[in-house]
Amino acid sequence: MAVLDPTPSGAQHILLPFLYSQSQTSLTRLYTRPSACLAIYRLLSPLERQIIMSLLWLESSVPASVFASWVHPNKVAKQQYDTAISSLTRLHIIPSTPGTLAKLLLHPTFKASFRTALTGGGTHQSFGVPADKGEKRSVNVEFLDSYAVERWETILHYMVSSGTGQSPVRPSQGVLYLLQRSGLMSAFGGGSVLRITSAGFQFLLHPPHSQLWDLLLQYLHMAEERRMDLVGVLSFLFMLSTMELGQDYSTENLDQTQNAMLEDLRDYGLVWQRKTSSRRFHPTRLATTLTSSLPPLPSSTTTSGTDHVASQGFIILETNYRMYAYTNNPLQIAVLNLFTTLKSRFPNLIVGALTRDSVRKALSNGITAEQIVSYLTTHAHPQMRKNVPLLPVTVQDQIRLWEREKNRVQADEGFLYTGFASQIDYEYVLNYARQLDVVVWENAESRCFFGRADGHESIKGYVTRLRADANGGGGQGA
Amino acid sequence: MKALKGVLVTCDAAVKQILLHMNTEQHFIIQDLDDTHLVIKGEELERIRRALDVELEKNTYSFE
Repeated sequence: MAVLDPTPSGAQHILLPFLYSQSQTSLTRLYTRPSACLAIYRLLSPLERQIIMSLLWLESSVPASVFASWVHPNKVAKQQYDTAISSLTRLHIIPSTPGTLAKLLLHPTFKASFRTALTGGGTHQSFGVPADKGEKRSVNVEFLDSYAVERWETILHYMVSSGTGQSPVRPSQGVLYLLQRSGLMSAFGGGSVLRITSAGFQFLLHPPHSQLWDLLLQYLHMAEERRMDLVGVLSFLFMLSTMELGQDYSTENLDQTQNAMLEDLRDYGLVWQRKTSSRRFHPTRLATTLTSSLPPLPSSTTTSGTDHVASQGFIILETNYRMYAYTNNPLQIAVLNLFTTLKSRFPNLIVGALTRDSVRKALSNGITAEQIVSYLTTHAHPQMRKNVPLLPVTVQDQIRLWEREKNRVQADEGFLYTGFASQIDYEYVLNYARQLDVVVWENAESRCFFGRADGHESIKGYVTRLRADANGGGGQGA
Repeated sequence: MKALKGVLVTCDAAVKQILLHMNTEQHFIIQDLDDTHLVIKGEELERIRRALDVELEKNTYSFE
């Protein structure tokens, strides 16, 4: 299923731009670990993967012209090929040769490690070291799943019910800080009370896989600031992503950075440890599916299940604004409560309605009409999918109208420029302001225009220069 | 040439009339530009938005 693919068609995996920004030295260090090579390979697009595979077992380089001759000679194919090559070059998987790309070959470190990853062997231990068996009862997969779901839903539930007066279980301090740093929640009124932001609501609509990566990417940025060894952090994440669910691993050969990470990842629900001091850890499904296309949470309890779109849809919306949602998941109910008025609740069904008040409440929280419509579309019940268009047009339009009604006043901060001495002066300054792209309103008759505040300094400077020129050239002062 | 600091308010004609009416009670409009544009004092913007919301809400009715 396309939605589950970590690299859905057209879109690049969110981690890749971060890797592009890393130095060649860091990436080379990363490539010494076979697990990292395998994980990165899994994040790449099919074409990039194919190029790597073609080069992997060759001992010598291939002339770029030979490679290019495999590409279908139309524009689209050529463009895709060029994008793929440039992406691999930026990852330093294909070293960029000075001048033209005359020859293609894989980075020797990457080649060696990736070969090891595929064929096995070596003493690199980059796929983790399983702990000794038979110490205590082993933990089963169901337990790990419920642990991961519990942790993950705690975070999402905390986000969604913030500001509603309820007090759900608070995630740990580290998670709260991460949510705040990523702009998904922000402190209101200068206090310690966190509330969900517009970005946070969009986040809730994402499939779990990208939610997870959104947070981890933020974690990587934080790791940079905390001066943690980024290569260590990345390779640990990649290591987790290649581990086996249900297996316990030893912490003994983790370095200091990675031991510190264990604590954070435990809060996110990526790993489970019996005790804080335990010398073994279990990756959960959230961790082992990081670079795979499998759903990160067991599907029966998937929270904002955009995976299995057809089977997971649960909302029926009628033309009379009534909404029936077949769910008993508190998280889904809480999300719906953001923009609907809930009327009654049954064991497997809640009934509510989209009302002006409920939508206005959502709008004033920074949620947009488009987001509400897209949420309802993604989670529409299979029965709804027979309708064309999917959602009743009346309801869609009304939601957008309510938004327009809410935003009847648009405000731009800036300066009103007026009192120009001559038409020529006015045109000079106006043209300059247009080039800066700061003009919001203009009126030639009264010779005035309104420019946004960010252009003011430049305009002021321009006018001063204009005056100086005019005074030098013949007293045409403005 | 002179530059006046302020906030450009873009709105529909009806809202502009309400704003003009509000201005008679407490002055906040710097310049009246045309049917849909006004320049107002920046520090008054939030108060105006709230007052306008209350004013517009008087014209809506709900079943509940």
